Formats: sequence, C-alpha cells, structure tokens
Amino acid sequence: MKRLRNKYIKDERVKFISHLDLLRVFQRALRRADIKVAFSQGFNPHPKISFGPALIVGATTEGDYMDIDLEEDISPEEFRKKMNKVLPPGIEIVESYEVELNDALSTKIKGAEYILQVNVKKSIKYIQNKIEEFMRKDIIEIEKESKSGRKMVNIRPCVLELKVIEEAEDYLKFYIKLKLGEGAPNPLHLLKALNDYLGNLFDIDSYKLHRKNMILE
Amino acid sequence: MNNLKDKIDALLMKVSKPTRYTGGELNSSIKNPEEVKVRFAFAFPDVYEVGMSHLGLRILYHLLNKREDVYCERVFAPWLDMEKLMRENNIPLFSLETKTPLDKFDFIGFTLQYELSYTNVINMLNLAGIPILSRERKGLPFVIAGGPCAYNPAPLSDVIDFFVMGEGEEVINEIIDAYIDWKKKRGEREEFLQIVSQIKGVYVPKYYIEVYNQDGTIKEIRTIKKGVPEKVKKRIVKDFENVYHPEEQIVPFMDIVHDRIMLEIFRGCTRGCRFCQAGMIYRPVREKSKEKILDLADKLIKSTGYEEISLTSLSTCDYSQIEDLVKKLIEKYKDKGVGVSIPSTRVDAVSINLLKEIQKVRKTGLTLAPEAGTQRLRDVINKGITEENILEATKEAFSAGWTNVKLYFMIGLPTETMEDVEGIVDLAYKIVDNYKEVKGNVKNLKVTISTSTFVPKPFTPFQWTAQNSIKEIMEKQDLLKKKLKSKVLKYNWHNPYMSFLEAVISRGDRKVGKAIIKAWEKGCKFDGWEEYFNYDKWEKAFKEAGVNPHFYANRERSLEEVFPWDVIDVGVDKRYLIREYKKSQEGRITPDCRLYCTGCGVKDFDEGVVCFEAPQK
Repeated sequence: MKRLRNKYIKDERVKFISHLDLLRVFQRALRRADIKVAFSQGFNPHPKISFGPALIVGATTEGDYMDIDLEEDISPEEFRKKMNKVLPPGIEIVESYEVELNDALSTKIKGAEYILQVNVKKSIKYIQNKIEEFMRKDIIEIEKESKSGRKMVNIRPCVLELKVIEEAEDYLKFYIKLKLGEGAPNPLHLLKALNDYLGNLFDIDSYKLHRKNMILE
Repeated sequence: MNNLKDKIDALLMKVSKPTRYTGGELNSSIKNPEEVKVRFAFAFPDVYEVGMSHLGLRILYHLLNKREDVYCERVFAPWLDMEKLMRENNIPLFSLETKTPLDKFDFIGFTLQYELSYTNVINMLNLAGIPILSRERKGLPFVIAGGPCAYNPAPLSDVIDFFVMGEGEEVINEIIDAYIDWKKKRGEREEFLQIVSQIKGVYVPKYYIEVYNQDGTIKEIRTIKKGVPEKVKKRIVKDFENVYHPEEQIVPFMDIVHDRIMLEIFRGCTRGCRFCQAGMIYRPVREKSKEKILDLADKLIKSTGYEEISLTSLSTCDYSQIEDLVKKLIEKYKDKGVGVSIPSTRVDAVSINLLKEIQKVRKTGLTLAPEAGTQRLRDVINKGITEENILEATKEAFSAGWTNVKLYFMIGLPTETMEDVEGIVDLAYKIVDNYKEVKGNVKNLKVTISTSTFVPKPFTPFQWTAQNSIKEIMEKQDLLKKKLKSKVLKYNWHNPYMSFLEAVISRGDRKVGKAIIKAWEKGCKFDGWEEYFNYDKWEKAFKEAGVNPHFYANRERSLEEVFPWDVIDVGVDKRYLIREYKKSQEGRITPDCRLYCTGCGVKDFDEGVVCFEAPQK
C-alpha cells in the first residue's frame, strides 16, 4: 500500500458541487481509471480517501489537497495522468507525490490563501486605511453556532493577512490568508465581520471565492 | 447568452442543491449549437434528481446526441426556491447544457410519467415564456410528449402539439428527419403537424374532437382532418436485442433517486397483473441476450465508474437466465466493488437466493409485493402468488440473516372488503411469527407495511372499475393504522386525495384538461410532492371548469362506453381486457404468459412482432 498526496483544481464549471459530491467524483474516477484503491475494513468498506478542510459550495480552488491510499504500485506521475483522463471537466489533479502512510493530511494543513471578490453597494473611500485599522484590532468577534448554542468567537488570531488587491466601482477584491484547523473561520466569516465594521457596505450575498493555495507544514 | 449564464450563476449561490441546474456532468453531451440542424430539449416535469433517475431520458438523450445534426439538452422543473428567483430576475427556463432559453429550441419533448406532474408541464412552458396552449403558439418550438401517461392524451390535448405513442427509439428519428426536411423547405407550422400526423405512432390532438353524450360520457372521437388515422397505433421496437442502448450514461454530481447504472434487460411483462398498466402497455415481452447484457454492463461500468448496476425491467427475476446473469456479474466485478441490484423481488425462493448472491458485494433490503391481503383478492387482481409463497420466501430470507422486510400492498382494489384489508394485518403478523420461529425472538425484526391506493388505469382490465371514495380509503387506512401497532411493525400510507386526483386525470377527457389549467392558474405545481399538494385549490379548479371529478374517479363504466383513450391502439386487444375483467369478477386467475399465450392480441398487432416464448400460432 502507498499513499499519494494530490493537489487539485476545481474550477468555475464545478464550483457548485459539494464536498460529499467531490468524494464520489474521485471514487468513480478511480474505478474508471481502473486503479486499485485501498479499502477500509469493516461492515461497509469504503475507499481510503481523505480530504483537507471542505471548501464552501460555490467556491473554486486551485490548491486543495487530497490523500488516496492505493493497493497497487503506480508512480505519482502515472496516477495523475490516468486520473486526469477520466475526471469530469473542471476537476484536475495538478500535482501528485508519495508520502508516508502515517502522514495524515489533516495535521499537515496549516493555512490557506484566498481571493475574495465582493460587490459593494457604494464606493468606499480610503478602503486600504480602513482595512489596516480593522486589522489593528486585537479582537474580531463573530457569532458562531455550536452545540451549546450561539457564542462569540474571536477570529483575529486566525487572520494572518487581509488586503485589498483590486478596487473597482462596484466591487472589491481581497487577498486573505487564514489559519486552518479546529474552529477556524472561513473567509465569509471574516467578510461578515469586516462588513459589520465598515457599516454594511457590501452586498454580502454576491461574492466570488477562490482558494488560491493551501499551506502545508 | 453568456450574460444569462452569469445571471444564473448568481442565483445558484442562493438556492438549495445548485447542481440541479449546472449540467457539466461526466458523459453529458457538449456540442456547438451552431453546428446542428435540430435542437431538442428533453423536458422532465419534476426535479433533477427524479428526472435523472429515469431510464427513458437516458436512452433518448444519448440516442439523439449520437446524431451529428441534433443536439439534445436537458431541462427539469426548477425547485420552488429557484423558480421564485428566476421569476423575480426575469430568467426564462433554460437548458442545463448550454443555458439556452427553451424558446430557442426546435422541440421541447416532455415525458409523462405521472399524472400529478401535469401542472409542472404547464408551469415549465410558462416559465419559458412559451404560450401554454398549443393553438396560441406561433413558430417554434414544437411541444411534444410521450411516456406511459401519454396513452391517454386527452387531458393535455390543449397543451401538447403532438404526442408520440409507444417506444421512442425509432420514431423520434423519423420525426427529426421529417423536421429537417420541412425546415429546409421553410414550411408553415401547420404543415409540419400534417406531416407528422402521417408518421406511425403520432397523435396530433387538434385533428380530433371529443363528441359527448347527454350524460357527459363520450359519444365518439371524431377526426376533423382528412387523412389522419382513426386510431393511432403505438410504436414497438421489434429488434430489442439490437435496439440502441447507451454504452455511457451521465454520472450526476449530486445524489439522485436511483444513483446507479440502469441496464434494461427486457421490456414488457408476462405476469398479467390486472391492475398494472405497465404490464399491459409495454407488451410484447422481449429480452436481450445474456451476452449482450454482459457486454453492455462492461462498457457502462468502464464509462461511468458507478459502484452499482441495476438490471431493470418490470419483473427482473423473470428474466430467463437471471441466476446465471447475476452470478456472472458478481464474479466479474466484485473486486472492483461494483454491486448488482434488482429493482423488484419476486416472492419465491429463487429470488431470495439471488439476493443472497447480491449481498456478497453490497447489503440489500428485502422488498416483497403481495399487493393484497387475502388469496381471494390476489386472485381477483391476478397476482399469481400464494400465502405459502410469501411465508416461504420470508422464512428463507430470515434464515439467511435478513431482519428488515418491506411489504407493499394496495388498498381499494375492485371487490375489496374489510376482511381483505384485515388480511394485510394477518399476513403481517404471520411474518412476525415466522421470524420468531426462525430466530426464537423478534429482536432486530422490522416489518414495514406500505399501502398505496389503487388507481384504475387506461388499458388495463380494471379500466371500467370505480375507485373507492376517499372516505372508504380513509376507513381502510384507519383500520390498518389501528391494527398494525407493534414495536416491530411500521405502517406507511399514501395521501388518498392525491390518489383520487391521479384517478381523475388518468381516465380524464379533454374537459379534465381545462381543470388542470385552472389548477395551475391557482398556483398548483409539484402536486406529486405531499408538501406542495393542495387539494382545496384543485377542488375550486374543478368547480370553475364545471368538472365533477367523481364522475371520472368513482364511476363504474359500462363495457360499451367509449373512452378518451380509445383513439389509441396500444396493441392489447380490448376483447382481452374485457375477458380479464370478467374473470376478475369471478376470482379466476390467468397464468403467466410464459407458460402459454393468453391471447392479448399484441402478436397480431403488427408485422414482425414477436412475443417471448409464446408458441407460434
């Protein structure tokens, strides 16, 4: 058995498929490619595939990761080629390499970089300054729902970087770098906090989110 | 067009299950619409996950797209959240593949699988900005329909430009060819309708009228156009072995209702259950050879990567080499983790053994359909099984380790009494006892009993019978609710108002069609979905249209009555249906026609029609 770590793209065409859908896509692609994947033991065996943190439905990525355990000895390069032949349009593996079997993807992923575009209701003056102000805060709180009810969570420690990279009359484009892990916020949480801070200037439902990269340890 | 795509994308950020509308699935067809002669929108009047589970769509989609001059795209009924946003943002109903508004197509082809989806047909046309009435349409597209419910075309006669009766694999190509020819000559819309009215299997409703008697029954169906057939004969594929079957299949991203390969192994059914419309209208029985099926299975598994293959037909265990076929498939694909499923289980030991085989790859439930609770009633409906069969089969299954069993029954069957309904209860408890006998206790046992309400359907021996009143059905359901109370039993029943409406429409005439339009105007859609079904609106619609729904659902017909669907020839002789109807009243059974030909008439229907194993005359 060997474990391959794969970096993949999910583009505009397939941005609405969910995390669970994506798992099925890879399972079926493996069968089409006739690659022998390792199965878990137990009552209902399932192929050993593990993903990094789920992407929001509607977002694209060019830097997500996924581990697949294989029964057969196939080179990462051959694996990548075979899979790309059978994956549906819009999903592509861009990099494959072997890792140790005890190397768990979930413990390796530390952060992610995003590009987030949001429509603005009116043009915002001195946006760069305001963002800097916002980032100087020690505490950025958002309301999160948990099993024990709603509670306020400070997300500031998870926000590594936030800056405007494009300004237009009707939209803004941000670069965002976040820590990932248990309880970490997603970019929309941050967007909402920023919107509250700025006094509701964004059309918060019309955004475009792209995960540029995941930062592995 | 790109602009529309962006607008749709923005809406999709806000709706549930957005992949219902995106297209782009593996094996979906990508073509340049500019490079084809005919654009065909295959329309399914329900949501994506229901429509994509339909084999007919999958066959015709790939069949049409095999042609270089045709581009077939798909469209489904948008769910209510999406419809609301589309209407608010002036987005017309569009195709999944290229996001083209439906009014840009040459054809919109609806498949009619269920009477309670008719308001969705109307709603989809309206959402596309296409007039809902055939006579108000000018230019393109042509709105056409097929499928089992089309065999009674009367209720949608004002809406559909023409219906296609029977199996579509051949006739659809004839229609397309005629269209290309007509389009080249820049013909009038009317001319094309005349041309297709001469194609076998095509019914153009505007060339026929219903003439009524004083009492509201039909006196005659009169042709009002010279040269159109008095009776429209359905189409039958004669070479079923070699007829087109897709070797690839779209693999949806989202989880659909039947999310697996569908491989049709035979068409038609030899059982002759008297309530079953499918068993009558899909005759004759034609099988594919085992070799053909294995070859198709291999191609389909390779092209889809699906983890399950369903061998579909009306009664899969009746396939003449079913055991060998299942064994071979399991052997060949178990290492790849591909399981086999059969959609219905016959009530006998052979079937249980098959299920055991299937279990080797994937756990499967046990579902049996005794249909009626007493032997007397099972004989009336010609469900050729005995209580002994049922008990033997369940015992065998319990010994093999099953703990869950689902039982399907119908209530409201012709001649049914309260005793027959009690028979369902008795049978359920006998099955529980059975389990006790095998296992010593009832631990883990779960018996689910579901009753549907009998709906008399056109072209069946019960087409003359009355449906039980809603009150009677409720009494029967109440009895079952009361008596099927136990930790190991679970009882499911069906909304009787929905079954009533189904009965009204399935045997409805053109007057009922006016009520359907009224109901849609009042906001009815997704009537087949319990949460959106609104009987009050329907009641008002019937009243306004001057239609008494009980006249259609709850009235017993005389054998002489002319039916709205008598204009269609489905292959099964009316004399056979009458014979079967009379036998049912005497409680006499008719054997499976694999034993000997029971003379339904389909063999003499057309030149070259062969029915499986029925001895030659």
